[in-house]
Amino acid sequence: MKNWEELKLNQTFWKPFKIRMEVIKAIREFFWAKNFLEVETPLLVPSLILESTINHFHSELITQNGLKKRMFLTSSPEASLKKLLVAGAGNIFEITKSFRNGEDGTENHNSEFTILEWYEINATYKESMKMCERLIIYISNNLVQQNSKFKIFNFKSNLNKQIQNDKIYYRNKDISLTPPWERISVKDVWEKYTGIPFSDLYDIRRKSYPLEKIIDASRKLGYQANKKNSWEEIFNQIFLNEIEPQLIKDKQPKFLYDYPAPLSALAKIKKSDERFAERFELYIGGMELADCYSELVDFNEQIKRFRREKEVIKKRGGKDFLEDQDYISALKQGLPKSSGVALGVDRLVMLFANSKSLDKVILFPNGET
Amino acid sequence: MTKIAASSFKKGIFIEFRGEPCQITDNTFVNPGKGSAFVRTKLKSIKTGRVVEFTYKSGEMVEEIPVDAREMQYLYLQGDEYFFMDPKNFEQVSLSRELIGDFEKFIKEGEIYQILVHDGQALTMRFPSKVRLIVTEAEDSARGNTVMGAKKYVTVETGARVITPIFIKLGEKIIIDPETSEYAGRES
Repeated sequence: MKNWEELKLNQTFWKPFKIRMEVIKAIREFFWAKNFLEVETPLLVPSLILESTINHFHSELITQNGLKKRMFLTSSPEASLKKLLVAGAGNIFEITKSFRNGEDGTENHNSEFTILEWYEINATYKESMKMCERLIIYISNNLVQQNSKFKIFNFKSNLNKQIQNDKIYYRNKDISLTPPWERISVKDVWEKYTGIPFSDLYDIRRKSYPLEKIIDASRKLGYQANKKNSWEEIFNQIFLNEIEPQLIKDKQPKFLYDYPAPLSALAKIKKSDERFAERFELYIGGMELADCYSELVDFNEQIKRFRREKEVIKKRGGKDFLEDQDYISALKQGLPKSSGVALGVDRLVMLFANSKSLDKVILFPNGET
Repeated sequence: MTKIAASSFKKGIFIEFRGEPCQITDNTFVNPGKGSAFVRTKLKSIKTGRVVEFTYKSGEMVEEIPVDAREMQYLYLQGDEYFFMDPKNFEQVSLSRELIGDFEKFIKEGEIYQILVHDGQALTMRFPSKVRLIVTEAEDSARGNTVMGAKKYVTVETGARVITPIFIKLGEKIIIDPETSEYAGRES
């Protein structure tokens, strides 16, 4: 049965969608109150930035002269938002759709999904962590208020158990939102769950992460790895099998921060430790909710990283993509010091609605047809 | 045995995982943010029936275990093993109780089933989407259970209890979905 058919038969099925509306309303109120400018950027673009391995949706534009021009659906609003930062927009945010091909039909993925992305000028990832805490608590308190004031949900359900002040009930577990949330470095979480010293992965003399070292570590853990794989691929496989499944046990949101440099192409490298970049990911209820960088603003460094990324993509056999030259020229003019966060709104709604699957918080999920 | 890439995994095929034969019960692509593709796979061990999850790199090569589907007759249950025989050559194989699982409610002696075999060893069976069984016990329609409306319980020849419409009589052959244990029609 399609969602809309089930909605017709079953009143309680509307609940997650009413929660969704309140979540998005609260996000807007939160950023408007802080004087962030809300902007709208295009979903249909003629060129891409990096990451051609995220399969994009392709389309075709028929120009005024009747010519055909290849277009793509964006996988994130990042490129346009950064151009606006260069244009002097100040603090900005956007709630928009993004598209990733080939990620359909799992509990946590839909080809078309809603993303919240914001940039704060003069902030670093540390300020963004605090902003995430404040935002999600604001949403939670707002839901509690709305529920008691207007009984908008109007269901005899255990909603009162589900959403309490500073607490979410998700997948049979109480998740406490009381700040400060736990912060753990990727190095520490790696050592905790693999037992391999992080220093085994790094060459201090050459100041790099040699492929051979991570191949060794990976084989020690029982994985297949060879020179044809990229560093990031080998690391991520270990992360997905050994570390991520452990995060679902957490009773509190968790920030994983200071990611190894090879995993953070556009993030600023830590001054105090060049092995790591100023990046964090926020995990709640075992799901990755948000990703954040202290943005890299040094243009020469950015170009170096782009070239390296292109090499990695080519090595993986990634498809050739049309590079966004406009983006490069904006960066050349100087991205202001800032921190950017991308947050999955659908997954956030799943948490507040205690839904096990994205299908239940998206009215017309792609997997339905 | 040939090697296949994780990106070409399909549900139902058999592969070697950490030296053990396993059947893929689920597989999905995963892209951790801005990285390469991975294949999150659910693997059911043929030996223990336990399901584990493992995420492969999409280009990772694994040994595929080719299987033959053989039509074999179910003979009997002895201890914890179900015995099947190939009527062509009288060869016998067995499958464990864990593997048969809930289907044990509907398995019928003498029936032909598709057994998946590799190297003379039975790995599992292709569970039929429908089974046809005779009703051996049924309540009288007249005394129909008002709590269940126009439905009632019957027992079929394998001993399983199934909910059917009220008009089903003793001796009738009915069609059942073995996955859900639900009545799916009458054999005409």
